[in-house]
Amino acid sequence: MSMQHDPELDDVLQDQELMHLAELLREGRMSDPPLDDAFRSALRRQLMNRAWGMGGGGVPWWRKVFGPAGLAWAGAAAGVILIAAVVIYNATNPSTGGFQLDVSSPMSDQSAVRLQQPILVKFNQPMDHQSTEAAVQITPATTVAYSWDANTLAVLPTSNGLAPNTQYQVTIGPSAKTASGQFLSTPKTITFVTQPPPSPSPSPSPSPSPTPRGMLTDQHLLANVQGGITNVVWSPDSSTVYFIGGKAALEFVPAAGGEITVIVPDGVTSAAVAPAGDQLAYVRSGKIEILTLGQAVTSEVVPTATAVTVGWAKDGVVEWAAADGVYTQSANGPVKLSSLPTTGTVSVISLSPDGTHLAYSQDQTLKVMDVETGDSVALGVPGAQFLGWSPDGTGVMYSGPQAVVTSDVFGKSISTLPTGQPSWSSLDEIILGSDTDLFEVQPDGSALTKLAEGTFQFPAWAPNGTAFTYFRAGALYTATAPPPAPRQSALDAAATVVKAFMDARKAGQLDKAIALLDDNGKKIYAGSNPGLNLLVGGDPSFTRYYLLTQEIAGTQPDTAQFVVRLVFSHDKIDVSSYEETLTLVRTQGSQLFLVDQSVRGPVMTLGKGAEVVSVEVSPGTVKVTFDSDLLPTTVPAGVIILDGKGKQIGTTPVYSSRTVSFNNLDLKPGKTYKLVVLSTVQDVGGNNVAAEYDLSFVGPENSKSGDRHQAPSPWPPGSPSRTTTASPSPAG
Amino acid sequence: MSDPLREEERQLVERAKRDPRQFGALYDRHFQQIYRFVYSRVREQTAAEDVTSEIFMKALKAMPRYQDTGRPFAAWLYQISVNAIADRYRTLRPSSPLEEFHDLSIAGPPLEEQATHRDEIRRIWALVEALPVQQKTALVLKFQEDMKIEDIAIAMGKTPGAVKLLIHRGVSRLRDEAGSLRPAE
Repeated sequence: MSMQHDPELDDVLQDQELMHLAELLREGRMSDPPLDDAFRSALRRQLMNRAWGMGGGGVPWWRKVFGPAGLAWAGAAAGVILIAAVVIYNATNPSTGGFQLDVSSPMSDQSAVRLQQPILVKFNQPMDHQSTEAAVQITPATTVAYSWDANTLAVLPTSNGLAPNTQYQVTIGPSAKTASGQFLSTPKTITFVTQPPPSPSPSPSPSPSPTPRGMLTDQHLLANVQGGITNVVWSPDSSTVYFIGGKAALEFVPAAGGEITVIVPDGVTSAAVAPAGDQLAYVRSGKIEILTLGQAVTSEVVPTATAVTVGWAKDGVVEWAAADGVYTQSANGPVKLSSLPTTGTVSVISLSPDGTHLAYSQDQTLKVMDVETGDSVALGVPGAQFLGWSPDGTGVMYSGPQAVVTSDVFGKSISTLPTGQPSWSSLDEIILGSDTDLFEVQPDGSALTKLAEGTFQFPAWAPNGTAFTYFRAGALYTATAPPPAPRQSALDAAATVVKAFMDARKAGQLDKAIALLDDNGKKIYAGSNPGLNLLVGGDPSFTRYYLLTQEIAGTQPDTAQFVVRLVFSHDKIDVSSYEETLTLVRTQGSQLFLVDQSVRGPVMTLGKGAEVVSVEVSPGTVKVTFDSDLLPTTVPAGVIILDGKGKQIGTTPVYSSRTVSFNNLDLKPGKTYKLVVLSTVQDVGGNNVAAEYDLSFVGPENSKSGDRHQAPSPWPPGSPSRTTTASPSPAG
Repeated sequence: MSDPLREEERQLVERAKRDPRQFGALYDRHFQQIYRFVYSRVREQTAAEDVTSEIFMKALKAMPRYQDTGRPFAAWLYQISVNAIADRYRTLRPSSPLEEFHDLSIAGPPLEEQATHRDEIRRIWALVEALPVQQKTALVLKFQEDMKIEDIAIAMGKTPGAVKLLIHRGVSRLRDEAGSLRPAE
């Protein structure tokens, strides 16, 4: 048999017999001993957990691993003694050799645990309650109570349930013993993640009508005028319908039905009601006449060029378009706002409802001109026909090949709708009339619904968004459509995009993530902002994310801002995180938000003191929720809000159930503020916040709309997104 | 020319000294041998797990103070192991028979000769268990863990000369003890 020669032993074991013994010893080398791979993994996890917590001032490892002092082991000496006692007991008592105490929990490894429930820890045999409860350690620091049901221990957080968006580690230490006195051989840790905080109660969004979708009500004849009707115009209060009837007479009829009244007997070619509803402007024989409705007084404007169409600016000043440009009236007479092209065949078509744009055609090409700048953009292909404006003047409809195209006034297409005669409502619904049926659809092409069958030609919405006129058999009718289904608020629409964006990144789906970036966003993630990566991987790995704040930051265009926290884990344990502040923008008229800006924050080490897990901002109130129970005395000086100049604002915050509330704040809409959590804040275990934490937010508007506030995360990752409108957060 | 493996380990150690989170790589590298060494001393799985946990926790904590003396990192881990085992040794009693975990499979010779040889090895290792602790530790580190004398010296906190003496005395004592057990030629 072969013998290994070890030169080191030549001068140690010079005797042949000793060398032979050495060879025998080497031959009898021990084979691999029994090893529990779970132990090997658990030890590594404990080591890494402690390693991530190192550098905090020499806190013993078992306190890092098992939790805060107030709830943790009685002390280092006691811990060591207990561990030693267990080891000695196990080593000296043969009866423990086959001891298998099993610890489990239905919450183990769950990722969206409800907040209002106890932590259940199940044992496979009766336990000694006192030692077991004393051996329970929870990270983050949480004050708890206990109750038992047979062999199941319910650990009950006393501060209004569990903290949201938080990974809990519940460890049963080795000092736990069974009712028969046998100790747990090794610590058992249960890990789970809680769901986001509950969403605010739904706002008073439009409630579905009891009328079934597709059923029109209040249908009746308005006018049956010989010679036809053109230029139907609703009064702003939706009570009156003005129209140009036979012989180009300007007439009106109550929307509810009744007698037709002739205002101007003939010669009218265009009419428009002032935004305030008190004046009616019309073009008659190429001149502009303005009728003050309450007083039946008419004034005349003599344009320098023959007026073709008339309208009103938002500020209530009349505008009109002639063949050479757009005009308005000043104290000194007509003023030309912008000029139309002088080349080719130019035809004026329509002024937008807000007076900012003019639709016209030039050599068969449909164009929209910005009245202020005179710049024009072409719409569609040559031959496209103008079909209407959105009520706010930001959208336009024109004919495409076998379709209705919606676009913004900059020429960017929004959607392609089924063919028909469209009208765009103030509730952002488009009805499509035809000889055979009436459809309703949203401007982005979604939610196409058939409202009715029959002839509904040239429908025109009333400003209230429910009544509309239409032509049938040459007569003018009106009807009321059922209210549209509740729509996503802008904030919800943006949140849906954020969720899709983050889910795609988490799944490594680069294409899907890129599709949710606008041009600016693509540049940022392509490298213009160091440290920002669309795909984040490696070890620790990107395992989850959640929203800290969400808000509408602007409306021109719609802008939403989200603070998303990305959490990284190693061996299932959350070890670090960082935040990205995402700014999403959607173009006017479009329903789709895209990520336009992103700013990355510093990496934060988890497991070292309390962490902010939710921030809720509403007019006058800011609520900051932590994952740990805090020492209340450290809160007033440690959690502060600064204005844009760095000046502290607000009164002393109120602390209750892990939440710090600032009430009666005078937050200015649109102004930037900063929430600061200083490292002097301590949890109930006496652990300081690892590092100062800053979070910027924008003062919310005092709107009652659900779009104008910040709210807790509306959805847990992986869950269906909300479709209801969020409401302002309850104050206090 | 430097040893690539040694250089790789040196880099791992340096990284772990700067950033404790890098300690995982050292743990992965040395867990098996440390656990085996501990098990060979305490002979009980639960106790071996406890002691191994203690060793690596101590190592992690002491990592920033670790000084690279040019010897393998394992020598330092064994030093912690030896001390950890010594702390408990008086209360721990080997409970498993030696043949359960000593590799006695030897290929080649006839079965009868193999059996005799196995028996001889078993008896030698049984005698090791009866040696004074220091001698026993030195022999285990040398013959079971296949460590160099300089590394054993580090692990045991002794000079290489003292380790040589322990090995010589231990093996000599085994010879003396085995003489009475050896079957007649």
